[in-house]
Amino acid sequence: MSAISLENLTKVFSTGVTALAGLSLDVNDGEFAVLVGPSGCGKTTALRMVAGLETITSGTIRFGDQVINGVSPRQRDIAMVFQNYALYPHLTVAENIGFALTNKKIPKGERDRRVRATAATLGIAGLLNRRPAQLSGGQRQRVAMGRAIVREPSVFLMDEPLSNLDAKLRVQMRSEILRVHQSIGTATLYVTHDQVEAMTMGDRVAVLHNGVVQQYAPPRELYRRPANLFVAEFIGSPEMNVYEASVSDDDLVLGSQRLPLGTAGTVLAPYRGRKVLAGIRPEDLELGEAGATLTADVRVVEVLGDELHVFFSIDAPAAGASTLAATVGEAEAGLLAGYAHNGAARLDPRAGVRPGGRVTFRVDTERLHFFDPDTGIAIR
Amino acid sequence: MNESRRLERLAERDAVIPVELYGLKRGTVTVLTACCVLFAVFTLIPLAWVIINSTKTQANIFQSFGFWFASPFEFFHTFANLFRDVDGDGTYSNWFLNTVLYAAVGGGGATVLSALGGYGFARYRFTGSQLLFGAVIAGLLVPVTLVAVPLYLVYAKVHLINSIWGMILPSMVSPIGLYLMRTYVTLSIPRELTDAARIDGAGELRIFFKIALPLMVPGLMTVLLLSVVATWNNYILPLIIFSNNNLYPATVGLGLWSQHATTSGDANLYPLLVLGGLVTIIPMIALFALLSRYWRSGLLLGSVAN
Repeated sequence: MSAISLENLTKVFSTGVTALAGLSLDVNDGEFAVLVGPSGCGKTTALRMVAGLETITSGTIRFGDQVINGVSPRQRDIAMVFQNYALYPHLTVAENIGFALTNKKIPKGERDRRVRATAATLGIAGLLNRRPAQLSGGQRQRVAMGRAIVREPSVFLMDEPLSNLDAKLRVQMRSEILRVHQSIGTATLYVTHDQVEAMTMGDRVAVLHNGVVQQYAPPRELYRRPANLFVAEFIGSPEMNVYEASVSDDDLVLGSQRLPLGTAGTVLAPYRGRKVLAGIRPEDLELGEAGATLTADVRVVEVLGDELHVFFSIDAPAAGASTLAATVGEAEAGLLAGYAHNGAARLDPRAGVRPGGRVTFRVDTERLHFFDPDTGIAIR
Repeated sequence: MNESRRLERLAERDAVIPVELYGLKRGTVTVLTACCVLFAVFTLIPLAWVIINSTKTQANIFQSFGFWFASPFEFFHTFANLFRDVDGDGTYSNWFLNTVLYAAVGGGGATVLSALGGYGFARYRFTGSQLLFGAVIAGLLVPVTLVAVPLYLVYAKVHLINSIWGMILPSMVSPIGLYLMRTYVTLSIPRELTDAARIDGAGELRIFFKIALPLMVPGLMTVLLLSVVATWNNYILPLIIFSNNNLYPATVGLGLWSQHATTSGDANLYPLLVLGGLVTIIPMIALFALLSRYWRSGLLLGSVAN
């Protein structure tokens, strides 16, 4: 049985804005589920609805087999970590962590013991008498975590808890949160806009767009088998290169270039003679002349130390290019395309690639992704 | 502690930006400063006059130069008289204590009600909340003098004429206080804090008293100051509702003396009037000095993200 299950959850604000349109997902006992999506996709609204801080327009939320739609937040037995931590500024760290226990009227001795044990777990035992203003960002983050785990809740909710930390601390707290999660094993729903966080932390990740779940799957599957164009482009950095292409005989036609598809072409049989969207992950391109190749003009090279990000342009229109042309006009779009790149490759740092040069990439056609140009749904 | 204060002062000095960086010319700044000084002098002149003349005899108040001292030095003599029933109208000490009572209970009550109401309007949405708040704001625009007659008639009906409650109850209603507290709560108590407390299992009353109220203190001090000063200086309301001299606050009591001083030309009421005025304003100056720290932070807090 799932610890949390959302069925057809819909939220329409009184302004008429639909934040969520029939969201359904479930989180198993002990699972770490992540809701990820660009800002405004409805992920925080969904989390607030699970917390009971937002009313539900329609749909059902269950904890275990109990419907909790009408249950007040204080009776839901949940704990939540907020984006800005929401620590009580006038209370000490100990009082902050113990606030929920005081509300439950847990005797002082027991309360102190649990607060100290929690603080020890998080490495903040020495800060119990300080106030939030006297803490660093990372310490505040730990106090917020402490306040949540001390309750031993049945469900854990986290709303972008790492977004206020600097990059280095964020990486550190990521593993810290996972360590705590593994030790307490409570079902967790974690909201973030950062796909790296989602991929590294989630047992399963739900990609949300315009209030609709695009795909809910383990990170590896999201990356390797994206259900649609949105997921394909959202997950991965640099993002997947997607071009408008057409299928002719056994070849994929990308602008003036042709890629022999071989066995990869079988799924495209219904699209023969038609347009299709073809996607290539940046790491699936490598320098080389053998097999299926693409020739590209290098625009920008970013040296990251352990790898090179090579931004290039090929004469095939990138997905969305025709929308661009419709908006700004053909000439303008052509001009833009002249300067801009429309693809990226992730190469070995020793590759001798320079901006302004011309390179030939070997393409592993087995690893190409195809999407229907009208619906954006993956062709498999 | 001293060290941190010293560092704070130094940091303040470092934070000063030369006027040129504001795009102002030195000359403009000089003119503006001169205007400010003039204005300050203008507001302080009456206070200086009151302080100087509280030391004079009645004759000297009229005959000597108004902005300098004249012998004999009568301050202590007048001060002693202030607390006697000089001409059968009642004593200043009685009026002063009345003022303290009205201001403390009325102003304190206004602060409590503003806190509750302001928090409610800021944090809860209910049917008619906008309309109700609009009505409160409309109350800001109605001067007391306009409602004097209807107020008197209503008071007569409910037996509040010559009752201290007639003075205290209306003083506990502060539309500006409610408005300030609503704004204060909206701007300086993040919604996440009350949300977090709710999830932590606290009831609404506990959230208000344990989480919101302590954070509202700077704002409340501002409201307290405003409402205490308003009640302390109130003249029209007590004038309308009190006919019993013993219930007068200092404002109306001094007004009575002032009347008698001009009509009867009675002996030595003017020095009492001047000193009475001075004694009446001293607590307000003290209160302002005491609360100014909160007053300033109350007006500024929430306007800048920390």
